Formats: sequence, structure tokens, C-alpha cells
Amino acid sequence: MIADALVQTYRIAFDENNQELALSGSMRPERATDMADCIRLLEKSIASIRGTIYLNVKRLVRLNNVAFHTLAGTLLKAVDERPDLKISIVTSSVIGWSTKKFGTLTTKNPRIVVEEYDSEFYPGQTFLEEGGFIPILRTQTKLTWRHEKEILPRHGLKPGMTIADICCGIGDFAQLVHKEFSPGRIVALDHSKSSLSYARSVAADFGIHGIEYTYGDASEMLLEDNQFDFVTCRHSLQIFNKPEFILKELFRICKPGGRIYITNEKNSHCLGEPRAESIQWTYNEVAKLFDHFDMDVELGPKSRRYMLDAGLEDIRMESFMVTNLDGDPQDFAEIIQSWENVYAGDMAVKRGDSPEFIQKFRQGFQDHIFAALHPKGYAGWPIWVASGRKPL
Amino acid sequence: MNLGAVSKDAGEHAELLEFDMDMDGFASNWAYCDRLSTYFARMISHNRSDSLLYSNLFSSALNELLETVYRLHAPSGRFVCSVARRGASERITLTVPVDAETAIFYRESVSLLAEGDVAGRYHRALFADGPLQPSIGLLELAVDYAARLSVEPTGENAIRLIAELTLEVADA
Repeated sequence: MIADALVQTYRIAFDENNQELALSGSMRPERATDMADCIRLLEKSIASIRGTIYLNVKRLVRLNNVAFHTLAGTLLKAVDERPDLKISIVTSSVIGWSTKKFGTLTTKNPRIVVEEYDSEFYPGQTFLEEGGFIPILRTQTKLTWRHEKEILPRHGLKPGMTIADICCGIGDFAQLVHKEFSPGRIVALDHSKSSLSYARSVAADFGIHGIEYTYGDASEMLLEDNQFDFVTCRHSLQIFNKPEFILKELFRICKPGGRIYITNEKNSHCLGEPRAESIQWTYNEVAKLFDHFDMDVELGPKSRRYMLDAGLEDIRMESFMVTNLDGDPQDFAEIIQSWENVYAGDMAVKRGDSPEFIQKFRQGFQDHIFAALHPKGYAGWPIWVASGRKPL
Repeated sequence: MNLGAVSKDAGEHAELLEFDMDMDGFASNWAYCDRLSTYFARMISHNRSDSLLYSNLFSSALNELLETVYRLHAPSGRFVCSVARRGASERITLTVPVDAETAIFYRESVSLLAEGDVAGRYHRALFADGPLQPSIGLLELAVDYAARLSVEPTGENAIRLIAELTLEVADA
């Protein structure tokens, strides 16, 4: 890093290793001369690199025409003067205006290109975001909510709080929290537009008003610092390859004294009787399969360490077991069937597993369903809950 | 300065928020454009389908209007900014004290938005050498935000600059 300066309401930093200049915040100067420091650093950064320089504006929330005109002039001059230079501008669709605005630069010089950052940056998760998975996600929430509505108050959730549900998925947890805990405000964020679309339509159908379903990237949210009393992130740290980045963001948006609440699994501890051995083998393989795609579905018991490393205090931790005895065993069986469909039908195939392996892998899920529906059987899916307080 | 949330009807629109202050007060600090547009955007966006995205877009659009007014107005008089809603649309109304010269600027600039290749004029203005032309914000609203702009007279020394915006993005 050769420079890192806070200039008025925006921040500019150059990362020499990645040849990336990041602009963030609000850049609305009155005059071009107000940006003199920024332009000097931009020119210096461009002069120091070879090939492509990346201009990261994913978190540049506001930019007026004065600033755009000044930046554009500098960038166009640079590519005019240096035939070897390429400029890649990385925007975010979350901002709304930026891809279109910066895209005009490409028409002036094709060596300036614009890439919009979006959900393609989480390729592993597409397995879990297909539309067919939605009914199962609803069933999962139905079964976990029986436990969590009793657990949440022990972790500090009270009526009237300002809540953020990050990685809200199809938004049903936010709807249940809205109904049960009457928050003062609730923002629910996810990076899947199709999930958010579904969440909004369900909320409208059920006459639920007041949930702000928001599109965004959990690892680089545009929500402001220190806003929320209670920040939830359920079953999600385990499917990000760098969960500490998400926790850092959860920490940032949480008010000092507020709490962060996470839930995660340890898939290898899914269990059932009868046919315990086959079930255990398959779920051990589930953990390995997710690991192949950079997801840690064994994260649950590691939550305490992650939370302490993130700087949280007063860590509270407990676990609960969703079982076939939670209401209709068929609900449990349907969840397991959907896991088999995605894990064995899609993910194992994508990994290149042999038909013999996949057959044995599928058998464990079928045995789990057998245990769930057996009149004397027991089938479980353990989940770890952890919460921590952001220091005052 | 007065700032209030109101719910009275503004024609077929429901008025959401109104701000008024002396123009010399508003024009005393450039940062008021940013602060006011950001505050308005946050307040009116919470019940849009994506509050954060809507707020970003609305703040950008309103800020360009406010920056235009900051640069072009009569030295004194009341400046009023109000936002009203009808369905998916927002109507921003800025009551701006003007003298003869600034009144002509607003009327002509808005009139030109209905003529010829507006997008081409906007992009040429955006990349022109030297200082930006004062109507750049109005051009941006018309091109990038598909805003419908109009100017209405109000008394002798003020105009109403009206921008109708539909920023709600359909779900993908």
C-alpha cells in the first residue's frame, strides 16, 4: 500500500499488489480543485503500474457530475497517453447509477472497461439458490423457527429493536421475526435477486409491511456503521469461503452494545436410528463435498472462535436439534430428500464423483428419511447458535 | 429552516416531505446539497421495494437538482424543496427564487430537454473540456433517470422546477 488517505467524505486507497485503486464513500465536490489530492493519487497510481489498473468503485455510493467529469478527464488522458494501459472499473449493481455512468467511458475509449460485480462472485452458492429449492427453504425455516423463537430472546432480541437480517435468502425468517418480535425497523439483505423477489411477493401476499428487502453483498454492504441493535446471519457463514469477512461487516453495522446472532451447522453430526452407520457415512461425505466447493458446513462449533476473533464479547452459545419429532415427520423427510437431490444430484456430479459413490451417497439420505418416517425411528439435524455483543 | 413530513394531497400525489429555508442560507454551504438529498432519500425510500438501491438513486437525482439551484438562483427569497408520491413515481418540486437571467436559464434548459438528441448533448457535455455547463444536472436527470422536467412560474421572483421520477426497478 503506497497511500491510504481519508479525504473529506470519501476514501481513496491504492493497493499496489493488486494494482487496484479503491474509491468509497460520497464524492460530491463543488469544484474540480477540491479533488486535487484524489487526482494526484490517481495519477501517481497509474504511473506506478503496468498493464491493467483496477478502479474499484463498488462502495462509491455518491458521485456528482463535477467529480465524474474530473475523474473521467484524468482516466481518458491516461489511456490516451499510454497505449499499454488498460483501466478496468469495477462497479456494483447495488449502487444503481454507477455501471451506467462509468459505462460511458468505454464509448470514449474501449481500453476502459466496466465490470459489474454481482452474485457470480459466489459461484458455489448457485446450487443452493435455484428456484426449486425455495419450498425446502421454507420448510427448513418452519422447523428451525420452533426452536429459534424460544432461543432468540436468550440472545438479546426484544420488541422494538432495529434489526438487520443479513443473507436473508427467501426472507421468511425476517417475516417471522417481524410477526413475533415487532421490531422498530427490519432490513433484510441478500445477494440473490430471485430470492428477494420471492420474499417481497410473499410479504405482499401476507400483508406484511415494513420489511426492507435490500439487494447487496454481505461482504461489502452499503449499510452504514453502527445502525442495528440486533444483526442476524443464519446458515450463511458456513457457505462463504471467508466467513471472517462477513463477520467483520456484521460487526461494522451493529451498534456498540448491540448483538450479532449467527446459526450454522455441523453436517457430519446429522444422525438417525435405525441405519445410523450409513447415515453417518453420508453426512461425513457431505462435509467433504462442501469443502471441495470452499464451504465449511462444519462451522457450527467454530462459531465461538470466529466471534471472539471478530472482537465480540459476552459470547452466548447453544445448540438445538431439529428432529423428525418436530411436527410432521414428512416435513423432515422432504428436507432430506431435497438435500439428496442437490448434494448427490448436482454437487457430487459437478465434482466428478463416480456412479458407485453417488449411489452409496444417496443411500445415506434415503436411510435418514427411513429413520425419520420409521414409527420407532429418530432423525436429527443439529444446529449451533452463537451470539456476541459489540463492545461499547 | 423548516423540515416536516406531511401527508396532505398534492393534487393526485401524496406529499411526503417538505423543506424550506432562506436561499442565502441554503447557498451558504455547498454540503447542504449532499446532506439534504441524502436525508430526503433515506426518509422517503424505506417503503420502496429495495430501500437502499432506491435511496442511492433518489439521492443522486435530487443532489444534481440541488447543485443546479445552488449555482443558479436569485440572491434572496425562500427556497422550498418538497417530494410527493404517486404509486411508483416521485415528484420533486423546487421553488427557486430567480432574477430575469436565471429564470431564462431554467425555462430554456428545460425546454431544450424536449428537443433533438438529448443523450448525445448530455454525453458531449459530460466529456467536454473546461468547466461543466450549468445545465448538466438537468440533462443527467432527463437521460439517466428518465425524469420529466418542467418549469412553472410562481409569482414574479420565483419559479417551480418540477422533476417527475420513476426509479423503482422491476424485480429480476
